[in-house]
Amino acid sequence: MKEKKNPYWLILPQLALSMIFLYGIANGLAQSFGIMPSLGLDKMTLKYYRELFAREDFVSSLLFSVHIAFLSAFLSVLIGVFACALLVRAKKTGGRTLRIIQLPIIIPHIVVAFFIIHFFSQNGILARLLYHAGLIAAQEEFALLVFDRGGIGIILGYLWKEVPFIIYFVMSLMQAVDERLGEAAVNLGASKAQSFFRITLPLCMPTIVGGFMILFTYALGAYELPFILGATRPKALPILAYTEYTHPDLHNRPYAMAVNGVIIALTLLPIGLWSLYGRKNEDS
Amino acid sequence: MKIHRIFITLLLLCILIPVLSLVPWLFTQRWEWPQLLPTAVSLRGVLAIALKDERFLPLVFSSIAMSTVVALLSVAIGLMTARALAFYEFAGKKWLYLLALLPFLVPGTVFGMGIQVPFLKIRLAQSFWGVVIAHLMYSLPYATKLLYDASAATGRTLEEQAAVLGASDFQSFWRVSLPLLSPALLSALSMSFIVSFSQYFLTLIIGGGRVGSFSVVMVPYLNSGERSIAAGYSLVFLCICVGVFTIFEWLVNRSLRRGGYDGAQN
Repeated sequence: MKEKKNPYWLILPQLALSMIFLYGIANGLAQSFGIMPSLGLDKMTLKYYRELFAREDFVSSLLFSVHIAFLSAFLSVLIGVFACALLVRAKKTGGRTLRIIQLPIIIPHIVVAFFIIHFFSQNGILARLLYHAGLIAAQEEFALLVFDRGGIGIILGYLWKEVPFIIYFVMSLMQAVDERLGEAAVNLGASKAQSFFRITLPLCMPTIVGGFMILFTYALGAYELPFILGATRPKALPILAYTEYTHPDLHNRPYAMAVNGVIIALTLLPIGLWSLYGRKNEDS
Repeated sequence: MKIHRIFITLLLLCILIPVLSLVPWLFTQRWEWPQLLPTAVSLRGVLAIALKDERFLPLVFSSIAMSTVVALLSVAIGLMTARALAFYEFAGKKWLYLLALLPFLVPGTVFGMGIQVPFLKIRLAQSFWGVVIAHLMYSLPYATKLLYDASAATGRTLEEQAAVLGASDFQSFWRVSLPLLSPALLSALSMSFIVSFSQYFLTLIIGGGRVGSFSVVMVPYLNSGERSIAAGYSLVFLCICVGVFTIFEWLVNRSLRRGGYDGAQN
């Protein structure tokens, strides 16, 4: 039963916090459009965005961030969905297996960064193993996987955390679909692969796409892994924004905020596309 | 079937090996290239090194205390919002739901850079409560979502029956709904604690080094390549997160067996 009694005192704390949140975002966006009264700037302008896109370091940061976010989200979804299907097929969807899979989800990114350095840096475990196997003669011969310009270390770190996330995110749905429909299809003569690709996978697709969006959005704006594991150049967008932000000259602040504006736009774009996709799916 | 087994085992090993690789560091003093095992082993390993630093233990305790405050506030506010959303009709309800979950869509870096100067102006920056408010923004949505799902699923029929039988509003909430929601409350507590405890950027930009947290002190060791100290910090960090999660998971299961309802299990 829904009451009409006044619930407003219940939502006051949330409203207060949301106002602070929106104020922070609006304040940043206003500065990105050149409105910064403390510096005597009060005319709205697209100047900072225009200048940003003319800067070579910004464009390479943009490409770098999209590259990391897309690859880590895409590979996580690919491996995660595959692993989830195997776990569902092997009926290992609970107990100790699931508890191990949950582990990376709760381990902080900073600790993950340590793992990546420990295993993949030039004097890490992997390089030492190759040295003992006689494949490399010195640290320097080990390919630069961490602090590299391709962001391999960063992507590996995200994969470690996000493959388990996708498994966890998709598992209960995939298990339900497989039990109710997948097995029926197999009984009716479909091969296991057919039942997976024709029935289970399409029915799980909206959730899988949702998982991809969450990961992509997160990796675009996250600071820790690219800060600890990234090369000096190109910098990921959040790192570039913070570098501009901490610049001693306050006139650089609008550039930092414009980078943040680009991050918001990049985040909202796929979400908008996704909700369109969702609506189209509901229609059909 | 065999390939399944191999792949699943491989997956579990990829998760466990890095976690377990922290254990040898407990007994490590030096671990030089190209040795596969530590070169100098003793009981005075990295933990002893960390404990020697007199800032270490106070840091652990103050970080835990701060995240506990954040978690308790998250659950209290999240429960209020969840009940409003689940049990009342009011104008702008959809907007409130969107506002409550908005931080899931906007990175903490964007919010942090936008709010630092306003917080400086009202002296919230570099203060305990400033960092708590900043952390709340990103811990609260998890609590609200979990508690909203659980509230919507349990409904308030039982609470109303208690009221009909003469219980006061508060009594029927406290003695009927709260026990029913206890699994979701525990999940929300542990989730918001872990999110707050893992927070790096917001603590850095709002706390400004004055409000120390575990992650802010640990990152410089990672960057400077002082691997043994970073290992000690990682080990403690991991134990706290996994410990909190495990204890609360156990409590959740216990209260589920007693008939509570958990939104996360839905």
